[in-house]
Formats: sequence, C-alpha cells, structure tokens
Amino acid sequence: MPGRRRRRSLAWLGVLPFFAYTTLFLILPSAQVMIGAFKGEAGGYTFGNIVDIVQTPNIRHAYRQSIEISLVTALAGGLLGLLIAYAAIREGTPRWIRSAFTTFSGVAANFGGIPLAFAFIATLGTVGIVTQFLTNVFGIDIYANGFSLFTKTGVELAYLYFQIPLMFLVIAPAVDGLRTEWREASANLGSSSFQYWWHIGLPVLFPSLLGAVILLFGNAFAAYATAYGLTASGLNLVPILIGADLRGNVYANPHEGQALAFGMFAVLAGMMLLYVPLQRRASRWAR
Amino acid sequence: MEEYQEQEYEFLRRLEEEKVGRKTLLKRGLVAGAGLTVMSLSPAALASRKKALADPPTIGRLAKLSDIVAAAKKEGKLNTIALPPDWANYGEIMSTFQAKYGIKITNDNPNGSSSEENAAIVALKGDPRAPDVVDVNPTFAVDGATKSLYAKYYTTNFRKVPRAMKDGRGFWVGDYWGAVSIGVSKSTVSNVPKTFADLLKPEYKGKVALNGSPLTSGSGRAGVVAAAIANGGSLGNTAPGIDWFAKLKAAGNWVPVPATPQTVASGQTPIVIDWDYLNLAYTKEFPSVKWVTNIPVDGVYGAHYAQAVNADAPHPWAARLWQEFLYSDQGQLLFLKGFSHPALFTDMVARKVVPNALIKALPDASLYAKVRFQSVKQGNDTKTVIKEQWPAKMGS
Amino acid sequence: MRRPRISLSAVVWLLVGAAYFMIPLLATFLFSVRDAQTGKCCSLGAYGVILHDPEFWTTIRLSFRLALETIVISLLLFVPTIYWVHLRLPRLRPVIGFMALIPFVVPPIILVVGLLGFFKDTLHAPFWYLGNPNYFLVTAYVILAFPYVFFSLDAGFRAIDVHTLTEASQSLGASWRTTLLRVILPNIKVAALSGAFLTLAIVMGEFTIATLSAFHTFPTYIQYINETQAYPAAAVSLMSFGITWAAMLSLLLIGRRRRVGAAVTIAEVGH
Repeated sequence: MPGRRRRRSLAWLGVLPFFAYTTLFLILPSAQVMIGAFKGEAGGYTFGNIVDIVQTPNIRHAYRQSIEISLVTALAGGLLGLLIAYAAIREGTPRWIRSAFTTFSGVAANFGGIPLAFAFIATLGTVGIVTQFLTNVFGIDIYANGFSLFTKTGVELAYLYFQIPLMFLVIAPAVDGLRTEWREASANLGSSSFQYWWHIGLPVLFPSLLGAVILLFGNAFAAYATAYGLTASGLNLVPILIGADLRGNVYANPHEGQALAFGMFAVLAGMMLLYVPLQRRASRWAR
Repeated sequence: MEEYQEQEYEFLRRLEEEKVGRKTLLKRGLVAGAGLTVMSLSPAALASRKKALADPPTIGRLAKLSDIVAAAKKEGKLNTIALPPDWANYGEIMSTFQAKYGIKITNDNPNGSSSEENAAIVALKGDPRAPDVVDVNPTFAVDGATKSLYAKYYTTNFRKVPRAMKDGRGFWVGDYWGAVSIGVSKSTVSNVPKTFADLLKPEYKGKVALNGSPLTSGSGRAGVVAAAIANGGSLGNTAPGIDWFAKLKAAGNWVPVPATPQTVASGQTPIVIDWDYLNLAYTKEFPSVKWVTNIPVDGVYGAHYAQAVNADAPHPWAARLWQEFLYSDQGQLLFLKGFSHPALFTDMVARKVVPNALIKALPDASLYAKVRFQSVKQGNDTKTVIKEQWPAKMGS
Repeated sequence: MRRPRISLSAVVWLLVGAAYFMIPLLATFLFSVRDAQTGKCCSLGAYGVILHDPEFWTTIRLSFRLALETIVISLLLFVPTIYWVHLRLPRLRPVIGFMALIPFVVPPIILVVGLLGFFKDTLHAPFWYLGNPNYFLVTAYVILAFPYVFFSLDAGFRAIDVHTLTEASQSLGASWRTTLLRVILPNIKVAALSGAFLTLAIVMGEFTIATLSAFHTFPTYIQYINETQAYPAAAVSLMSFGITWAAMLSLLLIGRRRRVGAAVTIAEVGH
C-alpha cells in the first residue's frame, strides 16, 4: 500500500536529528577509538598495538589493579548496599528512614570525583580528622601501622562512598519485591533467618543482585576523576594511564593510547553482555 | 663546542646587520633615483620598518624594544602554560608583566609537567589557545628543539647567559636554576633532618615525600640524582639514588604522595625533597607548618629550567616581549625574589644591582658553588635508568 | 494490631550506613574551618579565599552556563524524538533504549579519546569548535546526559496516553507545534524537569572530559585548589557537594510522585 509506506518513511524523518546527533558525537568517535587501536603507525592495520600493551608489565599491572579495585568495590559495595537497603525497606522500619536514605543515596551516588577525593583526604589523610581522632583518643596511629589513603586500599574506600549508595538505589526496587508474606510464612514454618535468605531471599534477588554488582563493577572500572584526585597519576590504573597519554603523549605511537582505551571497552562490553540478559530476568520479579 | 656557538652567533648577528644596511641603502638609492630625495626618507623608512615588523625578529638585540612592545600590545594577549604562581615567584612575574604592558596572560594547566608543555604545543598546533612560551626542564628543551617545536630567538641578554645554560642555536635559554633541598615542617618534626643520611632515621616514619614521581616529574628525578650523589653515585650514575629510595621505602619513611602546596599546608607531607625555590617559598606561604629548608651537604645537585618560544605561537611578538622581560634586570630580580638563582645572577652581582636582602634570603653560597649541571647525555641516561629500575624497586 | 518494631540488625546496618555517609562530610567541614595561621579551629578564612578568587566565579559561571546549554539542547533533541517514537515508531524504542546503554561501555575517559581523535585528527575541525567549551564540551555533555534524560522522559511518556492526547488535540484543529507545546509538554513536565536536574548535576561535576580537552570548568578549578591550597580545598569541595545536593533536592521536590529511580543512573558520570 503506497500510502502507508509513504507515511512510514516520513515518520523516520522525525527521528533523524537524534540519530544524526548520536552518530556524529557518539558512534563515530567511539569507532575512531576502536578502529584506531588496530591501526599501525605507518598505516595499515595490525594487532601490534594490542600485543604491545599486553606485553608491557606496567600496563598489565594497571589492568590487574583496575579490575581488582572494581571487583572489590563492586562486591563490598554490593553487600553493604544490600544490607543497608534491606534494613531501610523491610517491615518494621519507619517509612521516613527509607525516604531519607533514598534521598541521601541520590546525592552521595553523585558526589564523586574530585570533591570526594578531597573529602577523603580531609577524613583519612595523614592529618585527616578521623586519623587524628584515632591517634588522639584511642592512641592508634593508622599510618604507623601501614595504612595509607594513597594506595589501592584508599581508593577502594573512596569508591565505596558512591558504590554503596548506587547499590542502594539499584537494589531497592528488587528488595521491595521480597514479599513480607514470604518471610512470615517461612518463620511460621520454623525456619531461621539464615534459611530464609539461603532458600528464598537470595535466589529471588539473584538476577538483580548480579546485575547490580556488574553495574557497580563498570562504574568503578571507568572512574577517572576520583582516582586522579586522590593520587594524581601516582596509582597505576587504566583510566589514569589513558589520561596521562592524552596529557603528555607518553606513548610515542598515538594508537597505543587508543589500544588501551579499546582494552577498557572490551572489559566493559563483556560486562554488558552479562548485564542485559540478567536485567531481563530480574524484571520478572519486580512488580 | 662553545667556541663554535660563539662564532655562529657572531656570524648570524653580522649577517642581520648587513642585510638591514643593504636594504636601506637600496631603497634610498631607488628613491633618490626617482627624484624624491626629500620626501624619500619618511615613507620609505616607515615602509621598511613596517616590513621588518611583519616578521617577528630572531635577534632581540637588533630590534628596538619599543617596536616589540608596540607589536605585542597590538596582539594584546599571551598564552603561558604550567606556571604555578608560587613557583619561583611566577605569580608576581606574570602580574608585573600584565600591569607593565597591559597584555593579558592566560595561564593554562598551572600544575602541568614539562612533557605536558611540549605535548600542548603539538596538540594545539594552529589553535589560538596554543602556548606562546614554555618553561621546561633541559631534557625536554633539547627534545623540543629536535622536534622543531620552538622558534629561534636570541634575547637581548643572550650573550650574558652562562654557556652551560643555553642552546647555541637559539632555540632555548636557561632562565633560572636551583638545587635540591630538604624542606621540613617544624610543627610536625621536632628534630630537623639536614642530609640524605638523616632521612633514613626511624623517627621520620611515613613522612618523606618527593614532588612527584621520578617517572614523570623533573623535580622528582632531581631528587633521585641528588640521592645518588649522596650515596656514591654521580651525575652520570643514577642507580645508587634509586637504591637509596628503596631503602627509604623499606624503612617505612617514604610517603608515595606527590608533594604539592596543599600537602605541605595540610601537614600531609612533613618532609619534602624538592627544589630549593619551592621549599623556601612555603615558609611564608604557609606559616602554620613552620617550614624550614636545608640544602643537603652530602648530595648537592642543581638544574636549570629553560625558556622557549613556540615556533607556531599565536602571539609571536608578545612571546618575544615576555622573553625580553624575563631576562631584563627587573625580571631576573623577580626570579631571585622567588628564591631561585636567575640565569644572569653572576652578571647582576658583578654590576651590583642585586639588593642585599635578596641574597641573604638564600641558603649559603658555598653550597651552591658546588652545583654542576648534567649534560644532555647524562640527563637522558638518568631518565632511562629511572624508567627501568624505579617501578621494579619502588612499586607503583 | 501493633505495628511491627524495627529490628536490631536493621538499626545496626542503618547506623553503619549513616556513619559512612556522614563522617567524610563532617570531616571535610571541620577541615574547612581550620585557621590558616594556626592550623586549628576555627575560621571562615578558607571560604573567604574561595569566594574572593575571581577564577572561582568565572569557572562556576561557565559550568552553570554549560549545564543550561546542555539541558536546552538535550530537551530540544530528545523530547520530540521520544514523543515521535512513542507515537509513531514504537518498535524503535528498544533500539534507542539500547543506544542509551552505550555510554556504559564508552565512559567519559574513552569518549574523550574518541572525540579528540575524531574531531581533531580525522575531521580537522575548526578551532572555533574545538577551542570553545560552549561547542565542544556541550556537544559531549549532551551525550553524557542522554541515558539519564532518556530514562526520565521515557518513563514520563509511558505514564501518559500519547495517542489519545495527540488525536484529541489534532481533531480539535491544533497543529503539530501546538500539540507538542501546549498539550504534550505540560504532561511530561515532571519527567523533563527530572532530566534537567540530573543533567545539571552531571555537568557541574564533570571533570574527565573537561580536563583532558584543556578547558577550565568548575571541577577543574576544584582540582587546582586541591593541589595548591589545603583548607580552601575542603571549603570548595563542600560547596560543590552543596550544589549537587541542591539539584537533587529540587529533583525530589518536583518528582514527589515518582520513584527517584532515575537518580540512580547519574552515579556513573563524574567519576
């Protein structure tokens, strides 16, 4: 039917600006990086850049550290976020507590980057408020005992500040879906709290939990500003390496920096491939 | 080597002089021949001067300062990069320049490194935001000259700058130098360490920092070379320095935090191995930490920084005026006020133009007399050795 | 029946959560009121240093302006698009939804590499574009805001009956423009405002792209202060937090009815 076809082709015009914009400012620049990673310095295509970065111990170390920090903060943030969300949402807790935590999570999840880095320096730095409090009141000098904010551990602590709230916000709808009747029924049948979680709670939450943890992982892996604010290129992480390359042309071959970015993309895309089907399964329970 | 540089400079100078003479003669001859003798001088002179102004000069001494000032004022702006206001008094230098000539300075990336400065010249090529002038450490100055990033410019006082501090071809000139020092916060540390040997003592656990990682920071690298000199190494042998830092780390005294004015002010890095002009400036800047500075007698090492003009500078006349200003007595004294040794220090002392108070503010001259700069090869060797050994021995 | 009481374990975890959130903020505040001369409490000098710094005002004004421009362009671009998709091309919704996930695999640190490489090296874009934050940064920020604005608007459009409204309006003789402006827009006001406030928070906190493409925005200013001043750094960090908080509070107030699920997503950006 010619009339319908004409209407349909006109309809596509309506979304043209959107696709044009995203193509120009998202798709093509991304392609530039992905394709550039495989370009040789003298032209032509090659795996050489990828081979180079895989063979450089410093870069391997950066990937290892980035993945480690992301994993730790995703799991720790996931667990703590879940515990706090459950505590705030479950039966018995006043409604206002849930509202307060939701609001604050919305803010804290967004309070990242440079200001957060300094907030932690003011808290746990060598002359931070908490550091001095522990020394003056409890006589514990954490720095003398080996702790330092400017290491992997410090970065992990700082990341948790936005990971936990993010987890809270993401898992809240799923926790909502845990019917109180199930808890009551399980209690009536004589099972303990642990049994409830092991047989009912966690299995129901599992897809959402896994999806949320993956989200947290990606969030930490891609973080640049917070790590930079804390250690200013001192810590070996992939985003820091990419940043250093952009600022100071550290690698003689510009395609090496793009190869680094491609490596990041590969990790994140892998995460994405796991996340999408999990989200679909999770939405089954959310009603 | 130095003879050749001297000769080349003389040769170029004479060539310039001759060129000007010939052109003027030719013009006058033509105009006289056209019978306009009386009226010839003004428009012809103006025309020839205008033509000379169109291309910025290579040799400052041959251009009139007022011409440079006028052309620079017409440009109206100057782009600088990586000049922290509290680094060798650059804050006052920039504000004095702006007030004196009415030229607005835009200072990009104040805490940037020398490698970022050269990278910016490349990355921003053709962009009106590109830096007009850079102040880089010697290895990057040589690097930039090799890569044709800089324009040739002999400042008026070029001849007075010590040979060891300049590029004979005119691509870069040393502007000031300093020595590695140990800065200490007396409000945190009661027993002030004065030498590299002192720093290994257990009472300084978790307190000693560098101004940045030696992998990327020039002053960080200098700290390693100074440590090398203090431990059996030399300008050409950097490895003992890395070993010393490994010892510092093993003793638990090393803080992997790059020292910044903020970490000094907050007390996070109570002991900092850094350039003397930086440490000396902290005393007045942050009174609450009671900062004191000492040059370590066991490891005396100094280095200079170098000025260069971007070959593609968006404001070439302003760039050259900046150079003239920095190497004038006024500019050099401002560097001295910032606790650094300006390039023309010896010359100014000989001419007795240095106020006594400024000299007194610096540590003992006998220590500075020991300073020798690294050669280009030594500098590159240091970089290589640090790149190979630092991550392995110090971790990252 | 008596209302069930809050359990002990819940109290414990809530206190842990509250402590973890509050302590860094409190510490930053205490740090910011230290006196520069003595290093101890109490003085507002640090705030004075920031407020008297002209660079503070320049950068915060610029960031705010960039945020407004990003919001305007985002709404201009996405509202008609999503409206059109809901109305005529429902099969495109999952496609756009999928595209909204792309920023997850191309985070700001990668996007900036791509943008600089594509526009500078490949297209040799003119300097009035590359060197002007109102062009280069805003076009990038619209992409950063895209997923969050999309989810907000999408939810808003799902909540109203687009077809009925449109048909009713057109049967009464209204043009497309009138329909969009005077019928549809008021109905998705809440969603649009949610998207706007999220975008504001994103742009005011975005550091990565700004610093790596050599612009001077508010977050890059905060980092500069972080490196050069101690107590003012705490002051300006707290001010930045205050701005985020104000944006989120506005979001909450206008979005009373809807779940603040959309707020989730901003977390990624700015880290």
